[in-house]
Amino acid sequence: MNTASGEPGGIAGLLEALNTLIGRAVSWLTLATVLIYFTVVVLRYGFDLGWIGLQESALYSHSMVFMLAAAWTLRSGGHVRVDIFYSRWSERRRACADLFGSLFLLLPFALFLFAASFNYVAVSWRLMETSAEPGGLPLVWLLKSLIIVMAAQLTIQALLEARRALAVLRGR
Amino acid sequence: MEWIALLMFAVACGVLLIGYPVAFTLGGVALLFAGLGISLGAFQAAELLAMPSRLFGVMGNDTLVAVPLFVFMGVMLERSRIAEQLLDSMSLLFGQLRGGLGISVVLVGTLLAASTGIVGATVVTMGLLSLPTMLRRGYDPAVATGTICAAGTLGQVIPPSIILVLLGDVLSSAYQQAQLDMGIFATDTVSVGDLFVGALIPGLGLVALYLLYLCGLAIWKGERVPAIDTEDRARQLEQGWMKPLLTGLAPPLLLIIAVLGSIMTGIATPTEAASVGAIGASLMAAMKRAFGISQLREVCEETTRVTSMVFMILLGASAFSMVFNAYGGDELVEAMLHALPGGVFSAMLVVMLLMFLLGFILDFIEITFVVVPIVAPILLTMGLDPVWLGVMMAINLQTSFLTPPFGFALFYLRGVAPASIRTLDIYRGVMPFIVLQLFALGMLALWPGLATWLPGVVYGN
Repeated sequence: MNTASGEPGGIAGLLEALNTLIGRAVSWLTLATVLIYFTVVVLRYGFDLGWIGLQESALYSHSMVFMLAAAWTLRSGGHVRVDIFYSRWSERRRACADLFGSLFLLLPFALFLFAASFNYVAVSWRLMETSAEPGGLPLVWLLKSLIIVMAAQLTIQALLEARRALAVLRGR
Repeated sequence: MEWIALLMFAVACGVLLIGYPVAFTLGGVALLFAGLGISLGAFQAAELLAMPSRLFGVMGNDTLVAVPLFVFMGVMLERSRIAEQLLDSMSLLFGQLRGGLGISVVLVGTLLAASTGIVGATVVTMGLLSLPTMLRRGYDPAVATGTICAAGTLGQVIPPSIILVLLGDVLSSAYQQAQLDMGIFATDTVSVGDLFVGALIPGLGLVALYLLYLCGLAIWKGERVPAIDTEDRARQLEQGWMKPLLTGLAPPLLLIIAVLGSIMTGIATPTEAASVGAIGASLMAAMKRAFGISQLREVCEETTRVTSMVFMILLGASAFSMVFNAYGGDELVEAMLHALPGGVFSAMLVVMLLMFLLGFILDFIEITFVVVPIVAPILLTMGLDPVWLGVMMAINLQTSFLTPPFGFALFYLRGVAPASIRTLDIYRGVMPFIVLQLFALGMLALWPGLATWLPGVVYGN
């Protein structure tokens, strides 16, 4: 069910909007990473203060950026392609490439990541795992959960991209 | 069954040409071959379960936080039009001399080194900004396009480029592994800072070679690189000398000097320096007062896309090398390199040729994450210096991106160049620069001290 603009409606539209919303929201965390890290530097060199928790929070916000925005980056064409041929192909041919890649490259990889990390994350949750550093953040379980969230987002986005490519091939 | 590893490599290169995003192509192909390997009994499925903890290792890597910070700084300089203004004021400044415009393109390319790690982006930016001006002033199209391709790729080998951050991180673990393989447990380390310092003399040497070439043209073939016309000269007289220097050149120059200086004097780590650079660039943008919340949003979003792209490639590539090694591919490559007659010299030569050829289809980041982890430990075990190796690889790849007919830079420039410029002009234009690159590689191979001397002085090891 496509709307007039060719964008998916219904559940697919909602999921797409969700991935986009998450991606754009975590974008602001790049600014946060800059500010937090700058604060770390000022505290260390200006006041001789070191605070592991603050340094770790820069790592957390950085990780959230690149992981939670991966699906949106795919949607907005940010992942580099080897486009020697791709850039010269017709729209239909590109849609074929995208359909193939979404179903046979990304989808299995995202599902594998999801399955492989499930136990890894579950163990961390059970222990409510904390940072190994003294003074570190007690949120390692939350950080590790990002892997599962990213895998789920990429799985959804793979299906959405396949659906979009199919729509092109069917001539909309 | 080691040969399957090589088959996997070939299949990956083939599938990449389909044009699906590199990160997921690498991951998908790796997974396919993992399934094959498990069904053939070549290795256990459990070996793949290391994937999440590898990814977690990447998330906890403090050095790699430098990537989004440097990207933020670069995007900020670009979006706030500081880069554009810099090129404009410098070209008016130097433009009175023959060859001056070309010289300012090279210098701006050097200064913008940090902005991006992707060949395409810099070449496109430089092409859009400077090609029309150069052509309008009567530059030979070959000279103009050649200079832009060379200057646009030069940024990668000059610190603080994010390519050197990534390469430094990969070399650092390769060096660790090489020493453990040799039975050295009190290991030496090599850091991103070492590579930054090591790349400085070779990088600036390349800049000097480019400038010498342009000066030579100005003296002997002045008609190919004319000075500015009367209209531009009037604009130049109007603005004088001080204003462009103070408002155009000084701020970005100070920023780069502060960032590099704090790393080289050992005051700050590259990541710390990068955060200072990002704040500095933001302040410069704020002082221009042409910067609101929507531009800030654009900078954040662009930084996010580039960062996610880089780290997803790292993710896909690490899945790839995990399966490659599970098949025993690393041992196969090691045996092959050791079996070459001529020892370390021919091993190095073969690796450099291989990387050069791969540069035709893969960008710097992919090669850093896929190829370097496989070959670097072997070469380092043979006794090569890690900083020298990194700089050689960087200049080699830059040369590959310039080489017709497949060089990345040429494609990207072709994309933004007007139709009046023939592709042959671009090929002709880059030739002298390729010669300069090969000359620089030769010098560096003969005198490794060009790369290793400065880190020794700065860090005293």
